[in-house]
Amino acid sequence: MSDGNGTVTVTINGRRVETHPGRLLIDVAEELGIFVPRFCYHPGMRSVAVCRMCLVHVEGQRKLMPACATPVSDGMEVQTDHPRAVDAQSGMLEFLLINHPLDCPICDRAGECPLQDQTYAHGPGTSRYVEPKRTYEKALEISDLVVLDRERCVLCWRCVRFADEIAGDRFIQLVDRGAGTQILTFSDEPFDSYFSGNTIQICPVGALTAKPYRFVSRPWDLKTAPSICAYCSVGCPISNEARAGQLVRCQALPNENVNDFWICDKGRFGYHYVDSPERLDNPLVRKGDSFEVTGWAEALRTAAEGLRGAASVGVIAGGHLTTEDAYAVQRLARGTLGTADLDSRIQDDGAPYELMVDAAGVAGSTATLNDLESAQTIVWTGPDPREELPVLFLRLRKAVTGRGAKLVVVSPRRLSLDAFATHVVRCEAGAEAAALEGLRLGNERPAADDVASADALVCCWGPSSPGRDETPILEQVVALAAERGGKVLVCPPHAGSQGLLDMGVHPALSPGYRRPETRGRRTREILEAAASGEIDALVIAGADVLNDFPDAELARRALTSGAFVVVSELFATDTARAADVLLPAAAYAEREGTFTNLERRLQKLEQLLAAPGTAREVWRICAGIAAAMGDDWGWTSFDDVWADINASVPTHAEVDVQALTQPHPVAGPHQESGYELMPNDMVMAGPGGPMPKGHRSGAAFEAGQAWPLSWELRSFEAHLRPGLIPVAADGTGEVGTLTERASATRREPGTFRLLSGRHIYDEGTMVSRSAMLHELAKEPFVALNAADAAEIGLSDGAQAVVEGATSVTLPVVIDDIARGAVYIPYDQPGLHANTLMRGPEPTVTVRPA
Amino acid sequence: MSVAAGPQEVRIVTRRYHEFPEDSWTLERVEADGGYEAARSAVRDMTPDEVLDTVKDSGLRGRGGAGFPTGVKWSFVPKDLFPKYIVVNHDEGEPGTFKDRELGERDPHQLIEGIIIAAWANQANRAFIYCRGEMALGARRMDTAIRDAYRKGYLGKGIFGSGFDLDVTLHRGAGAYICGEESALLDSLEGFRGQPRLKPPFPAVKGLYGQPTIINNTETLSTLPHIIRHGVEWFRRWGTEKSPGTKMISTSGHVVRPANYEVPLGTTLAELLELAGGMRDGGRVKAIIPGGASAPLLTSTEYRLDFESLQEAGTMLGSGAVVFMDESTCMVRNALVTNEFFEHESCGKCTPCREGTWWASKVLERIEHGEGRKEDMELLLDIANGIDGRAFCPLGDAASWALRSNVELFRDEFEQHVIDGRCPFEDEHLSFTGPRAAVPGPGDSGIAAQPHAGVDADLEGPDPREAGR
Ligand SMILES: Cc1cc2nc3c(=O)[nH]c(=O)nc-3n(C[C@H](O)[C@H](O)[C@H](O)COP(=O)(O)O)c2cc1C
Ligand code: SF4
Ligand code: SF4
Ligand code: SF4
Ligand code: FES
Repeated sequence: MSDGNGTVTVTINGRRVETHPGRLLIDVAEELGIFVPRFCYHPGMRSVAVCRMCLVHVEGQRKLMPACATPVSDGMEVQTDHPRAVDAQSGMLEFLLINHPLDCPICDRAGECPLQDQTYAHGPGTSRYVEPKRTYEKALEISDLVVLDRERCVLCWRCVRFADEIAGDRFIQLVDRGAGTQILTFSDEPFDSYFSGNTIQICPVGALTAKPYRFVSRPWDLKTAPSICAYCSVGCPISNEARAGQLVRCQALPNENVNDFWICDKGRFGYHYVDSPERLDNPLVRKGDSFEVTGWAEALRTAAEGLRGAASVGVIAGGHLTTEDAYAVQRLARGTLGTADLDSRIQDDGAPYELMVDAAGVAGSTATLNDLESAQTIVWTGPDPREELPVLFLRLRKAVTGRGAKLVVVSPRRLSLDAFATHVVRCEAGAEAAALEGLRLGNERPAADDVASADALVCCWGPSSPGRDETPILEQVVALAAERGGKVLVCPPHAGSQGLLDMGVHPALSPGYRRPETRGRRTREILEAAASGEIDALVIAGADVLNDFPDAELARRALTSGAFVVVSELFATDTARAADVLLPAAAYAEREGTFTNLERRLQKLEQLLAAPGTAREVWRICAGIAAAMGDDWGWTSFDDVWADINASVPTHAEVDVQALTQPHPVAGPHQESGYELMPNDMVMAGPGGPMPKGHRSGAAFEAGQAWPLSWELRSFEAHLRPGLIPVAADGTGEVGTLTERASATRREPGTFRLLSGRHIYDEGTMVSRSAMLHELAKEPFVALNAADAAEIGLSDGAQAVVEGATSVTLPVVIDDIARGAVYIPYDQPGLHANTLMRGPEPTVTVRPA
Repeated sequence: MSVAAGPQEVRIVTRRYHEFPEDSWTLERVEADGGYEAARSAVRDMTPDEVLDTVKDSGLRGRGGAGFPTGVKWSFVPKDLFPKYIVVNHDEGEPGTFKDRELGERDPHQLIEGIIIAAWANQANRAFIYCRGEMALGARRMDTAIRDAYRKGYLGKGIFGSGFDLDVTLHRGAGAYICGEESALLDSLEGFRGQPRLKPPFPAVKGLYGQPTIINNTETLSTLPHIIRHGVEWFRRWGTEKSPGTKMISTSGHVVRPANYEVPLGTTLAELLELAGGMRDGGRVKAIIPGGASAPLLTSTEYRLDFESLQEAGTMLGSGAVVFMDESTCMVRNALVTNEFFEHESCGKCTPCREGTWWASKVLERIEHGEGRKEDMELLLDIANGIDGRAFCPLGDAASWALRSNVELFRDEFEQHVIDGRCPFEDEHLSFTGPRAAVPGPGDSGIAAQPHAGVDADLEGPDPREAGR
């Protein structure tokens, strides 16, 4: 980018480089392959320059300068290896070590610890410190997931800065001063954050450790592979790490387009389900009231027979399938089974993603996550991102608190975004479209002024409550963006949701956002048809419709009407138990694949583990069923699937999936140990001569290679795995005629619209089987407006009887929510809220218990 | 005033309270003495730029420690950014310094007048006085003075009948030396942990609440009314070319009359010592701290007390606190006590200061208690070098300078401790930290020591010492 801003030339260790003014010396040096040792600097956070480890010599400066807080300027001459700088580095290490417990043998960080590595490279060999060390009580559990050892802490402030600057929950703090300075939580509040695990990953030493990983593995025993989080549609890159064939750790990989450097605790600690003993490992075929274990051949034959005999088949896929699985499901449905009745929207049944095709040519976002950061104004209407799309919440927060964007939140209930929103438009439930129209027409002031004045506008929309028809809302969002030259960020719920839309697992979309010849039934209609017998066979891939579809009774009737049901699943979910043929699927860490995230970015998963038993990818299962039905697709490998996608899906014709892989390690330009890679695969050592590559942390990243994952994870392969958005969408399409808006009608006292949403830790198929997180799941409750509560004689903490399709007693929480609506979390322990729901706009009555 | 033989004080900022020791802090006395005339004429008759130019031309240098030219600092303030703030550094934490305390207690109106002039010159409508928590009497008197000034229309809306508004808020700190460092002071004032901020941006550009902020020491501001009233040439009659004017020197240690002496900059240490009545008990000078505990030691009185001379001598004028030590002083103990102060006051933000001062204390303690090793002197110098120039803020550097100069200048004494396995001064009842000389000096009248001037002292309550007023 050679814009008018000009460039500067700096010389670092004799090497000249041209770069932009204002960039930090530490970054510019790193790009040259010169690693300046550091503890406190982190590229994702503002510099504080407290550890003083990165001091370098700058010509003409009397004092050594901290490279992490020194912007480059023209003509600057820098020596990172000047004798004074080297002396300072080793002196700083000596200072840090005098009070360090040096309990490396029992420290989880040992082997991937920059304090160890930097001491090895730059530190003194012996200690001149003879006095007793500063001691603290060791291993404090500061939350259910995080353990703190203050003796190991080097007071780099990374954790504190993360909590304050990035996550916005200041639970971890500095207390006391001088040599007594320590990291602590407030005594009355645990470190209760959805993002707490990031502090563990960025802690340069073993001061913060993860309870699930403590004493589980030495880093050099880990086998690792890059992957993508399988939970929500943000699609955070992660590294899966296994020891002895078991997933034991998961860390964020940086992709500054997507997740910056962060993941949420669900993504980080939610992997235990993969190794759960409850995983299905072999095909099961129903024999009367029970299942019988069979081989694949028999299971597929049974499935094929059942499906061949059906008059009409419905296909439902869940949101955690990969893009390849999605394509296979679609081909099975439209091709082999010849049905138009397929859908992938379960909890988001009623979400009109297809509307985007008219407006923008894609059934998804026209905005990228990076667009949020250059936006002047962001409009949000949808779920609570902190609960459902956690890292999107961080990106939104950064856009507002870090980049000064204005945020307008349109919602009938309080969302976590309200805490830093510029304007909160609290509308009645069902009146979101009217509120958005107000923004568009300039009536909803002052928020409308910030929308009108924005040169760069991003309107975000996601399905706000299960099962709602959000057509009028999305229409307004599209119109607002189109009229103001803005972009739309469409936020479907799950990791696979967008890929399923792209691959046409949708009754009104075929692959590549084309219109199919016949429009089929959507999920609700499929279930209704199955319940009435019109559809007599169902194929369900990775979807627990009984617990996820926002009308539990309808789902139950559909599955028990006598239809022939084929399910592929990880677990014997309630839905899976209703199957006639149950086929075990491979989990994300056990396979190659891609997920398409909410900005339509394809990112690649690499296989790390073997699937249990004979479980396999859903695409293989689909191809197997097809073959058993006499339709051989000829697929045997991942590449075969992609060859087919390239050939059949115009939007994806150009995608080179292997380019997403980066199979060969690209030499990390720096080693924090101070060693440099030589072309002959040796590292140039300091004292001690050359060593084989991969000997130390900081070795380049290779999928499946056993090496200790570096603390910083920068410049490794992940950095070179930016992913790919197959088609650009400019979003300046036509705005169709707007649907008549239902005006919100006040209901009788005691009768409420039921709003719901998922919470980060819930009864979901995967997260509920991740032991650590399941314990954190909140109990269900019913939230309502204070005035509504008073009207029916309820107060905060009281018990209320909530009656919808079924009836339940719940504690009352008074909250900032529109009158006439209640909020009940969708899937918390003890209550599947879909059991309360009947019909597309569910209501409930509420009375004191 | 009759001219006596020997050196004389030149009392400018200390004149009023010396002349009217009974009521120099009251508005009645101040008005009768011509107080607020300079502020009034600045606001009414001078443009802000005229005031700024006057201060620039006067060459006034900051009295808080760094000696930065005040007018130059003011000129860094962006003209078009509002609001701007004036912050008075009345934290006075530097060991050996007790001048601002006296100014706050005895002539708070002079400070307020200085604030008005600074606020007008910089077009700031709000000023904060960050007052050290322990200074209960001073806080009470400044508080009263502020109220009186509001009553008279010297503060508040449209001061002196002009269109200029100025509000002054007194804020009491909670007792941390680092909160005297200007950016830590701002964090503390904003309600955060008092720790220095990363610079740039400097406070003049982005200070309190992110706005342009002028931070000046109490003595600096107290000098302004006199410069405005009498002019630049008058002010430059004293002092040197590069350090014009007079300076309060807090003089203490083993002298006959420890007190504040206001002397022209450029006065020699010998002259100052003479003013203070010489060394007590006829002792001889062993070491001098010329500018507060942060300043490297001197061993001779020939040096001049001004910014440039002391810098040339490898030390600094700092806040203008001179401590004379006689030969009864154990220099290891001096190093220990000084270092312990820095260790205790280190904010803990950066590695070298936090760990280095802690380590040095351990080593010095060992030496003082007879457990020193012969390699300890090198170690202490290495620790000092490991902090110097590498710390985040000047506190760490200062700690290293004090440490290094003690070891370098009195290495033999350190070695003696190691060889003897004991402190050779152990038996002396007098040491640097020994009891203060009982003879009251001229600057010592009226105000009793405040052994426990509690931070929580009630600002509103009656002050027993003012009962007779
Ligand atoms: C550790 C440290 C402590 C300081 N303490 C004080 C203090 O107590 N009072 C003060 O006026 N300046 C103190 N300073 C100097 C201030 O940072 C600042 O330079 C001064 O307030 C500016 O005012 P002046 O220009 O009028 O001197 C301290 C500096 C440091 C580094
Ligand atoms: S706990 Fe870790 S991240 Fe936090 S300050 Fe200490 S060393 Fe840094
Ligand atoms: S934000 Fe979403 S994709 Fe990222 S780690 Fe969390 S659940 Fe996974
Ligand atoms: S030198 Fe460092 S630790 Fe010491 S006071 Fe300054 S910032 Fe704090
Ligand atoms: S990395 Fe620069 S001071 Fe810590």
